[in-house]
Amino acid sequence: MDEEKIIVCRCEDITLKEIRDLIHEGYTTVEEIKRVSRAGMGPCQGKTCGPIIAREISKITGKPIEEVYKPSNRPPFGGLFFKEIVGESNEE
Amino acid sequence: MKNYDILIIGGGPAGISSALAAAKLNLKVALFEEKEILGGQLVKQTHKFFGSKDESAGTRGIYIAQKLINEVNNKDKIDVFLNSMVLGYYEDGVVTALVKEKMEKFKPKKIIIATGAFEKSLPFENNDLPGVFGAGAVQTLMNVYGILPGKEILMIGSGNIGLIVSYQLAQVGVKVKGIVEISEKIGGYLVHASKVRRLGIPIYTKHTIVKALGDRKVKGAIIENVETKEKKEISCDVICLATGLMPLSDILNQINCKMKYIPELGGYVPVRDENMKTTVENVFVAGDSSGIEEATAAMLEGELAGLYASYEITNTFDKRINEIKEHLKELRKTSSKVVSGLKKLNLYKDFIVDSQKDLGKLHRTGVPEKEMIENIIPKDSNRFAIMECFQNIPCNPCVASCPTNAISMDSLNGIPKLDEKKCIGCGNCVAVCPGLAIFVVDKKKESVLLPYEFLPVPEKGEMVEIMDREGNFLEKNIVLNVRKMKDKTNLIEVKVSKENINNARHIRVVI
Ligand code: SF4
Ligand code: SF4
Repeated sequence: MDEEKIIVCRCEDITLKEIRDLIHEGYTTVEEIKRVSRAGMGPCQGKTCGPIIAREISKITGKPIEEVYKPSNRPPFGGLFFKEIVGESNEE
Repeated sequence: MKNYDILIIGGGPAGISSALAAAKLNLKVALFEEKEILGGQLVKQTHKFFGSKDESAGTRGIYIAQKLINEVNNKDKIDVFLNSMVLGYYEDGVVTALVKEKMEKFKPKKIIIATGAFEKSLPFENNDLPGVFGAGAVQTLMNVYGILPGKEILMIGSGNIGLIVSYQLAQVGVKVKGIVEISEKIGGYLVHASKVRRLGIPIYTKHTIVKALGDRKVKGAIIENVETKEKKEISCDVICLATGLMPLSDILNQINCKMKYIPELGGYVPVRDENMKTTVENVFVAGDSSGIEEATAAMLEGELAGLYASYEITNTFDKRINEIKEHLKELRKTSSKVVSGLKKLNLYKDFIVDSQKDLGKLHRTGVPEKEMIENIIPKDSNRFAIMECFQNIPCNPCVASCPTNAISMDSLNGIPKLDEKKCIGCGNCVAVCPGLAIFVVDKKKESVLLPYEFLPVPEKGEMVEIMDREGNFLEKNIVLNVRKMKDKTNLIEVKVSKENINNARHIRVVI
């Protein structure tokens, strides 16, 4: 199995190898991995990769998955333009 | 700032049901939907639903969606916000949402979160090749936009979604090369499995996908037997992932609802009580975002959340609240997975699930053992219905469809039984069965009446190919009668020679 050809975070193009290397380096929470690799910072906001990363951490460290995967979310949930908040008065 | 009694996030089956329930009590409702139409996943469901007769069982999902959407549009108490994304919920009870490219604020008395689910991804080699799709995307392309995802497809996952989407793909002429299932048993309802097997689609249990083949796009896949590690190459241009759903919980997380990781319910779910109330005051949840289940359960949960939230505002208790709870229990009587998940939420504490029998070969292949069939063939009758429905599932429309009361069932989850003396072979049950599991055999006339949901529909007198339960060719013979049905499950009566009469289960029109 070629871990470099398995995409875990498709928004940011992060492979299984990168994730496993980070876990072995000592990054053992989803949050830490997100900060060093950007996995989970794309448009889907970690919905695709989060559970997979958590499973990997759990497999390697032996910690139960519910301890590893604790997604936290902040508003806004989607991309937003400034004009959508403040309104646009003048295009020029 | 706009004020509402109840604000609902998500316009799928659960959210719509909540809105209708609250509007019934004359409350002012805001219903938010991210997409351009209401209906959620229902708008892609071209198959007939299971469930009990009084909950639109036997009706196709798309028609249920239409009915619900019409009801919403007829209620002036409901303001529908389409293309509108909820952005956040704040401690003072204010909800922000993007409406017509502008961020707006809302202040509801109660909110109901019905955001549905998200498809789980799967790590395997080359899983980013174009041609790897989620089952939801395939259904959207095919059933909403009328676009074929490809020509030859490999389905990963044999849950109800994997089985149903495979069947729908076959209906539109895509060649389904196989369904890959990692566990030793088929995950979805076995009547759905039998339906795809009849089309000649193999189900590879104990297999997993290890690699997508192709350079710039999918050209095939390598699957592996998880026990023997034996590999098999399958050529295809689409790999469709139907490997499960997880509750969409962004908003619940943000609101700081107490959450719990419960694999049986698909992942992180909010802790809630039996009235769908979360741990945060005035915040309710319903449908898949509270735990993955079927759409019927989502609609009931939505209605329950809507009625209970309304009760907290108006103080009038609707009897229907208790009725729904009973309905949900009946529906979950054989769902050991969901119930064990609910127990972890301290719900359904003393609830006992009917144990599910291992159905042997049927559970592993989708094709029942010979003896199973022989056991249900009436001995003293020449024309009879045969119900190839052996698994306890919440379904009973066949019972009510019979004009002579020949079909009986001890409960919603029971197995249908035929009283051969009463059956007149009319075929009503064949037409309503959502599992397409009923056939009428006429030994004297040498014919089989079967349900047919493909195009073109053959003409009376036409020669067609007749297939068995595994899609193997049996013989060519003549169509004796065609009954075109309004709901598009047409009934075809075909002549079949004596030796094949108990095995003829599908036909193919020769073009
Ligand atoms: S064929 Fe007609 S009479 Fe016989 S069981 Fe079905 S509905 Fe009843
Ligand atoms: S035979 Fe009856 S219970 Fe079984 S799937 Fe068909 S309608 Fe449902």
